[in-house]
Amino acid sequence: MNFSTIDLLSAGAALLAVMMCGFSGLYSQLRSLAVQTAFLAGIAISIGMSSGATHYLVLAGVVLLIKSIGIPMFLAWSAKRLEIPRDAGVMLPPALSALFGVGLLVAGYFLSSQFAVPKMGNIGEAGMTMTLIFIGMMLMITRRLAISQVIGFLVLENGIFLYGLTQTHGMPMLVEMAAVFEVLMGVMIAGLVTYRISRTFEHVDVTHLRGLRH
Amino acid sequence: MNILLIILQTINLLVMPLLLLGVVRKVKALMQNRVGAPILQPFYDIAKLLRKSETISYNTSWIFIYAPRISLTTAVIAAVLIPWSGQLLPPAWAPATNFIFLLYLLSLGKFFVMLSALDAGSAFGGLGASREAVISILVEPSMVISLGALALAAGDMNMSAIYTHPINPIIAGLAAVALLIASLAELSRMPVDDPTTHLELTMVHEAMILENSGRNLAITEYASAIRMCIFWGLSAQTLLLMLPAYNAMPIMIKYLIGIGLMMIIGITVAFLEGILVRLKWRRVPNYLAFAGLFSLLAAMVAAVRM
Repeated sequence: MNFSTIDLLSAGAALLAVMMCGFSGLYSQLRSLAVQTAFLAGIAISIGMSSGATHYLVLAGVVLLIKSIGIPMFLAWSAKRLEIPRDAGVMLPPALSALFGVGLLVAGYFLSSQFAVPKMGNIGEAGMTMTLIFIGMMLMITRRLAISQVIGFLVLENGIFLYGLTQTHGMPMLVEMAAVFEVLMGVMIAGLVTYRISRTFEHVDVTHLRGLRH
Repeated sequence: MNILLIILQTINLLVMPLLLLGVVRKVKALMQNRVGAPILQPFYDIAKLLRKSETISYNTSWIFIYAPRISLTTAVIAAVLIPWSGQLLPPAWAPATNFIFLLYLLSLGKFFVMLSALDAGSAFGGLGASREAVISILVEPSMVISLGALALAAGDMNMSAIYTHPINPIIAGLAAVALLIASLAELSRMPVDDPTTHLELTMVHEAMILENSGRNLAITEYASAIRMCIFWGLSAQTLLLMLPAYNAMPIMIKYLIGIGLMMIIGITVAFLEGILVRLKWRRVPNYLAFAGLFSLLAAMVAAVRM
């Protein structure tokens, strides 16, 4: 019945991911993404506090600054520039996609116990991190606009980061830092490409990119 | 359960629904920079309506006259059995407090109000009844699943057992959020329906009772006020399940805290109604999906963390 701080924070991150499936507004999605990433930084801080390794604190600071504040603000700025306030989804409307998110949570929870992970140094449960990865994939598949697919990618990346943080001994700090900056570069390039798409085609609806002409 | 508590609960059942309605209306008026009607205005309204004579369309059958009475009866029975103001019933009452029975008892009252709206044969009544039916269909799963999650965690289907059992705070919190979101739709409050509007395009609950007048209308209004008390009181009790210390308190203090939290929920809802806008009708299912989501999560946590 007892939950550790890390479990609570990762459960909060998974809950936010499920709720993000139900939001159609880009700005509310970005706000949830920022809070979710801040939860991950909180997990890194609490691991750092309990193990006494200072590089976790540095990592948490970088994650908080770049992934939780910088990237959502950049994406909000691009969304404002492109004038797209909401995304209704392609195959799944947001309401159904939120219910699918709960299904993915259950699936992630049960699948995570099937994995043969070396039982060393894993703190907290793998189920929530699997949920983040699955929901990120689903957001990337089912969303209509290029920007919300970038948001899905960021949720997926958060899941991978959380898996590395809680289920392994942790990667060297240089690798983690490199991953964070890689994501920053990827998001900036995606933002610029999205802008180019909208300049060329006058929309950022990826379903319309299948035909050669429209 | 002593005699003092019985008297207190009877007075509570008579006074609290209309008082809560008055407080909500007053807070909402203050949020809109109006002075607003006095807090006791719903009492005056009911008294006035009870003195007035009724107008009944000659197209109606007996359903139109009896439906409000059935609605009031089911609401009062449910209010006695559901622990909306703290758990007061002794365990011997257990078979009658099954949560599925109580939820569908409340639905029965609603069903008859819908029938009476259709019975009068007016266009607005039919519109309101069909909208209310859609909302009921959308609300029902999240209500049943969230209470079911609590029942699963407590290992008992009876409300009197659920609300005295120590329950994992995460399950209680998720279920309480689901109940609150669903109750706003069930009670025709703001994000789904505006209770003050009289614009025929938007109203749901008001359109249903448009044909009622006099004593009939008074009974309908009182029954819906009791339902409001039941749902917000139940949400308050579910929130209080998150505090393990609450169960150990003496019954009088539990009673007062429960009623107080119900009032706070009412004031918060009125405050939110001052700053929110009504949802477009087509986006209501999306809003209610969140209630379903929270209730499903509560059920999942309850199933995993038995």
